[in-house]
Amino acid sequence: MDAFVALANGMAVAIQPMNMLYALIGVLLGTAVGVLPGIGPALTVALLLPVTYKLDPGGSLIMFAGIYYGGMYGGSTTAILINTPGESASMATALEGNKMAKAGRGGPALATAAIGSFVAGTIATIGLAFLAPWLVDFAVHFGPEDYFALMCVAFVTVSATFGSSPIRGLTSLFIGLTLGLVGIDKLTGQPRLAFGIPELLDGVEVTTLAVGLFAVGEALYVVSRRHHSEEKLEPVRGSLWMTKEDWQRSWKPWLRGTMFGFPIGALPAGGAEIPTFLSYSTEKRLSKHPEEFGKGAIEGVAGPEAANNASAAGTLVPLLTLGLPTSATAAMMLAGFQQYGLNPGPLLFAERPDLVWGLIASLFIANVMLLVLNLPLVGLWVKLLAIPQPWLYAGILVFATTGTIAAKPSVVELSMLAGFGVMGFLMRRFDFPIAPVVVGLILGPIAESQLRRAMSISLGDPMALLQSPMSATLLGIALIALVAPFVMQGLGRFKANED
Amino acid sequence: MSDLPQGAAERRIDSAGVVIALALAGLAAVLVWDASQLQSNNPYGMGPHVMPVVIAVGLGILAIGNLVEALRGNLPARESADAKAVWLILGGLALLIAIIGLGGGFIPATTALFVATATAFGRRAILADLAIGFVMTTLIYVAFSRLLTLSLPAGPLERLF
Amino acid sequence: MIPFHTRLFGAAVALTLAAGSPALSQQLELKLMAPAAPGGGWDQTARAMQQAFVAAGIARSVQVTNVAGAGGSVGIAQFVNGAKGDGNQMMVNGFVMVGALAMNKSPVTLEQVTPIARLTEEIQVIVVPANSPIKTAQDLAAALKADIAKVTFAGGSAGGVDHVMAALFAGAVGADAKKVNYIPFSGGGESLAAILGGKVTAGISGMSEYDGQIKSGKLRAIGVTSEKRLPGSDIPTFKEQGIDLVLANWRAVMAPPGITAEQKKTLSDAVEKMVKSDAWKEVLKQKGWDNAYLSGDAFADFLKKETVRVTDVLKSVGLVKS
Repeated sequence: MDAFVALANGMAVAIQPMNMLYALIGVLLGTAVGVLPGIGPALTVALLLPVTYKLDPGGSLIMFAGIYYGGMYGGSTTAILINTPGESASMATALEGNKMAKAGRGGPALATAAIGSFVAGTIATIGLAFLAPWLVDFAVHFGPEDYFALMCVAFVTVSATFGSSPIRGLTSLFIGLTLGLVGIDKLTGQPRLAFGIPELLDGVEVTTLAVGLFAVGEALYVVSRRHHSEEKLEPVRGSLWMTKEDWQRSWKPWLRGTMFGFPIGALPAGGAEIPTFLSYSTEKRLSKHPEEFGKGAIEGVAGPEAANNASAAGTLVPLLTLGLPTSATAAMMLAGFQQYGLNPGPLLFAERPDLVWGLIASLFIANVMLLVLNLPLVGLWVKLLAIPQPWLYAGILVFATTGTIAAKPSVVELSMLAGFGVMGFLMRRFDFPIAPVVVGLILGPIAESQLRRAMSISLGDPMALLQSPMSATLLGIALIALVAPFVMQGLGRFKANED
Repeated sequence: MSDLPQGAAERRIDSAGVVIALALAGLAAVLVWDASQLQSNNPYGMGPHVMPVVIAVGLGILAIGNLVEALRGNLPARESADAKAVWLILGGLALLIAIIGLGGGFIPATTALFVATATAFGRRAILADLAIGFVMTTLIYVAFSRLLTLSLPAGPLERLF
Repeated sequence: MIPFHTRLFGAAVALTLAAGSPALSQQLELKLMAPAAPGGGWDQTARAMQQAFVAAGIARSVQVTNVAGAGGSVGIAQFVNGAKGDGNQMMVNGFVMVGALAMNKSPVTLEQVTPIARLTEEIQVIVVPANSPIKTAQDLAAALKADIAKVTFAGGSAGGVDHVMAALFAGAVGADAKKVNYIPFSGGGESLAAILGGKVTAGISGMSEYDGQIKSGKLRAIGVTSEKRLPGSDIPTFKEQGIDLVLANWRAVMAPPGITAEQKKTLSDAVEKMVKSDAWKEVLKQKGWDNAYLSGDAFADFLKKETVRVTDVLKSVGLVKS
């Protein structure tokens, strides 16, 4: 119960009017910067951190929390409205969210993202307060072989993003895996598929690929078919707000997304991408409207957004209990703490409980402020889609390229963006699904390095993968998930042949 | 885009599908070649060439799978494409890359892309679009360089700010 | 209400208009390249320098540009080609670039730039889990000599300072550096978890990364790479344990090739003034960096020796083909 009292104390500090104002300003600034192309939440925080330096610790912390949430939400906004995910974790959001926006349901998509983020953030904060010590013990014992097994589960479940044909889905995935090989091999420092081009040594940037495939590819595809049927975008069709049905279809994905996001986020190498993929494919499997997936299913926005936010709260577990910054954003949080000469770590909870709980309370308040600020703005945001088609797509392309230019202003990087755009166009034309390419690029390298780390530690003995109970269990799950559909399909096909 | 089949795809053999299958096989070959250039300097565990070979095998199998689909004519039907509009946008992207590469700066580069895209989508008021694009990209440039101190590529125009 | 707003506004203005406080400044208008993406160590150094230069009135404006790619290989190539002879440009770099240039077979080398000064450094440490049977550096040395394959080191990226240090350690205790079982992790958090979870034998990193864990007793530091013990710390150096391993992860600032002696002096003087300013000291304190200012011929000499040492080590572990 100590934790509860401490959290209440933190709350009391955070809800002072002045601090609420700071939270609001933080959310505003964070959203404004976060919607800019190429600027993800971590960079948003990095850029705006100096603004908080001059405030007192309490105010600074809460504004910081506001910037952080604002930055995250800003990224989701561009993913939903103009199909340019600013970070890999909003890819799943773009998948369904943009389809919703194009169908005039941008309002509910933005709303379910904001509310889902709030719900997930709240639950995860409570989880942080009560489960942190237990979770961290579990997380630390998660070794490379266990990560590899988790990755196998993720690979098997991505078939949910495959679309209609397994062959074409797998083709997309393997193209993504190939792209994931490009660059310096993390374990031996040798270049692979770089062909002597220095810019390729760092590998293919996920955002360059995603923005090229999604935004540029989409623009090319739409323009190529313009003479068939003029795409009419109505910014609002039906209700601007979430209807009763939307709520009914959202609340479970929020909760399930949180269940994926928080524990995986708490793993030192868990990240936000895997829980968003897992959430997306789970929602697709469980949905009563699986036919809507790929055409704008609200579950596909609600789940991954909640997972993304819950995983962000999950990264606070190793940060606050061990001083481990496990993501770029957590590293920025660490910078936030260091302003006060504090090094987060095992001693922090004991030495400065006021600040720790202050931060947790601030995150909560900032989350509330995000809702307060952004729900009224939803109507304004979706008006963006009322811009006439030529200007809308011209603006999207300018935004998309600006993101790449801001991150890496090189001819090679921009050519890659254009090349991925052409690839996205051709893939749409020949009906290859887009998402598995990005999934392969993200998961492939992680799976490979974790497997090779495990092999290095075991001196090449593959049995190490089965000796860890966690990894053996996860591999078992992956195997069942892999084989079951094929067995079913095989039986089905067998019957069909008999007819 | 001229090599794309026009109208409904041929029933029997889909030539575009055959091209895709060949491209996948080619990619697999590149992977194997690249992996053969690597040296395994890690004495323990798996070397850097294992994963590329595994992926290459996968690509090879998929190339066969795609070939079979194409020979059966199983690819989904395609509508004709407006190649001119697609080339116009690609031209805009090429212009953007050229301007950035030659040091022309962010504003002219993105303005060129803006105008090319708007034209591709059927606008015919190039001067008005030039003005809109210029104002928009200038605002972006100023926001990045002044408010965020992130420098976008600067040409003669940007140095005035 | 008003003072709060003013403070807030002041902060925002200070951030946004870092360039252009006219009061004390001279005519220097500098361009600083961070050959890395915004947010990383080199970028932070460049932006901290920008802050200090302007706050101390040494330069009228400082512009930071980021050219990311391949451990700085892309940045230095652009710097050498694009800034040749320009007395108003500088580039931040550090230890990691030495190895990256060699590993990436970069056509541009550090010999082509004009060294100005080393600014900061961080001492490296080797840690083991608290329950490890290894208590001292000599214990670790004995384990290495017994069976080098079974001793796994966790650290940062391949060819980086941690990797170089693992090989140097093995070499210094008489084991075969080529056979070190070094496992690179991305980011300190991930490797720390592997150490705490007992997945690897030992971990290598900068001191600050493991500081909290060492103080709380979850990790045991078996040696640091400084010449003498760090102030206020009872962690023994490798040197006093009879292992010749002295190393630091440094960051420095360079000028372009082809500048005149006069231009070099102007830049060196400006950097020296910056390092001595209160603003820089404040930055060091805020970021927890150690001052390691070294300039002129002494620094050029240091750079040369470091290049030779790192390249040799990377050749010995097979990361650079000889």
